[in-house]
Amino acid sequence: MSNLLSVENLTMKFGGLTAIDDLSFDAKNNQITSIIGPNGAGKTTVFNCLTGFYKPTNGQMFLHKEDSKISLRKYTDFKIAYVAKVARTFQNIRLFPAMSVLENLLVAQHNELMVASGYSLFGLLDLKSYRDKEQLAVDKARYWLDIIGLTHRADDNAGDLPYGDQRKLEIVRAMCIEPRLLCLDEPAAGLNPKESAELNKLLKFIKTEKQTGILLIEHDMSVVMGISDHVVVLNYGKKIFEGTADQTKNSKEVIEAYLGVDE
Amino acid sequence: MEKKDIIQSFKDSLFTGLIALALFGPIVGLRTASKGEGLFITPQWGIVFLLVGLCVLGRFLINLNSARKTEITFFSNFTSKFSAITEDKAKHFAITAILFAVVFPFLPFTDRYFMDVAIMILTYIMLGWGLNIVVGLAGLLDLGYVAFYAVGAYSYALIATTFGWSFWICLPLAGVFAGFFGILLGFPVLRLRGDYLAIVTLGFGEIIRIILINWYEVTNGPDGITGIPRPSFFGLPFKRSPDEGETSFHLFFNLEYSTMHRIIFLYYLILVLALITNYFTLKIRKLPVGRAWEALREDEIACKSLGVNPTNTKLTAFAIGAMFGGFAGSFFATRQAFISPESFTFIESAIIVAIVVLGGMGSQTGVVLASIFLIGITEMFRDLEQYRMIAFGGAMVLIMVFKPKGILANRKPTILMHGDKK
Repeated sequence: MSNLLSVENLTMKFGGLTAIDDLSFDAKNNQITSIIGPNGAGKTTVFNCLTGFYKPTNGQMFLHKEDSKISLRKYTDFKIAYVAKVARTFQNIRLFPAMSVLENLLVAQHNELMVASGYSLFGLLDLKSYRDKEQLAVDKARYWLDIIGLTHRADDNAGDLPYGDQRKLEIVRAMCIEPRLLCLDEPAAGLNPKESAELNKLLKFIKTEKQTGILLIEHDMSVVMGISDHVVVLNYGKKIFEGTADQTKNSKEVIEAYLGVDE
Repeated sequence: MEKKDIIQSFKDSLFTGLIALALFGPIVGLRTASKGEGLFITPQWGIVFLLVGLCVLGRFLINLNSARKTEITFFSNFTSKFSAITEDKAKHFAITAILFAVVFPFLPFTDRYFMDVAIMILTYIMLGWGLNIVVGLAGLLDLGYVAFYAVGAYSYALIATTFGWSFWICLPLAGVFAGFFGILLGFPVLRLRGDYLAIVTLGFGEIIRIILINWYEVTNGPDGITGIPRPSFFGLPFKRSPDEGETSFHLFFNLEYSTMHRIIFLYYLILVLALITNYFTLKIRKLPVGRAWEALREDEIACKSLGVNPTNTKLTAFAIGAMFGGFAGSFFATRQAFISPESFTFIESAIIVAIVVLGGMGSQTGVVLASIFLIGITEMFRDLEQYRMIAFGGAMVLIMVFKPKGILANRKPTILMHGDKK
């Protein structure tokens, strides 16, 4: 399995606080790599560095393409998603609540549609070439909605969906940009066991069917242990363990980090 | 009703009277009058007691039969029914409204005054539709929209008086200039949202007005620009006696000369301009850029995470909104034939924002209803002179009490997967 992402000596300081301290790890194509750790370990900060919301103090992050590699440090803001094709979801769901489910998925295909609409010119003239492209975008949205079973609610407002469906919608919305790397920030937070199981199924589907690597921050161990191929454990911004799910479960360091050390 | 309640409401109304007395006493009761060499205070206790009495009685009556509650339900029932009708039959409503607007100048009761009011309402409708792109769709609260209106009016006036070009060339140029100013304002405020954006745009509006006052060499300062050419009917001017070698409108069509011709022409001109604005907005809302505006209003961070460029998206919203403001401005200039910075004060921006917000953010029909309601009511009470602003404020309060989200607040998706279910 080829490397997709390599993080090298990543360091992020906020004033005197070192949120991430010399972190290095790799994530592979068609694998789910989980980042776990106690609260405040710096997991979300890693995400924010990867997705261009923060500029890291030190270190490099590379995304590997067939035989070349691109440095994620060069891209900030919207270009991470647009050029580097790194998609993310958020800890607190960020849908467009007053827009319909279908519209949410179309906004994710904004850049292609923008070109297809001739930067609005062809669209205003109602050219057939644009209408065909728009139909393709709708078909893609329908494909993903079929997978998460929300096709019947496509025309309802995203904000009116139940919480679990909103989570799934946010994930497929990120998938609509055809990302190479999908970063999920606590996708199972607030889900009941049934919804968690559905989430596992969805993530496994993405992993096997799409050319996408998944990076996952999660507290729900049933999700982490059920689907992770690789686990990275952080504590106080440092990597304390790295290995498969089973190795992690039995690791002394990890148990100590979560539960404390015997006196 | 029990005795206890009556006593309670009696006490309550007495307390109301006390507040009314404290307010009306000094404001209405003490009147200054200049007699001979000084100012004297003439007390007017009669009026004060009348007003206080009215307040007490009114309050008591309200308390007594709890009419308030039934009234509110009646009114909100009425408005929600009304909005249900307009939403369901939006298309019929729009067609009826447009047909009415088209035949309006030829209705028997339509006179010069009605036409002037109608032109004014249509100007505000167009401004409202233009601002709706910025505020309603992109969610950028712009309190300085009048600046673009001013830029459009002044560019039209200056180009037309300096180069003598025709209205149909100056109109797009004015729109382009205003759009350019929209981008100019857009750049510094890209990072701002909500209240902060409102303050900066407010300042921008004032800056433009003050430049217009002080840049005497170009804008003629507070004296304004006079003699702005009137539009012609495709080359036919509206003049009683045309110049040598020119044919005027009434001669060409063999009509008796009337000043109404020009008014009617102006009316149709602004009607067409407004409808173009509306058509454009409805169209662009369904395009990717329109959806990106709405997405930006909903959640900017999510937009970035999906690769939507927020800078470009915001700037296009500002530019296009400003462009329509510029069109409306050049219409204003050609209609008045005289413009001065006084026409572009903050109150204009406030009225336009009020129209958009009261109409229901993003609702095109709402803008029409709110313009008719606000401008119409203010005009109806013109006889009350300075008190007519009370009618304006009262209309705003009424809408906000009964329809806090605006007259028409329903949003329809821009694209449907399953088609209309009805």
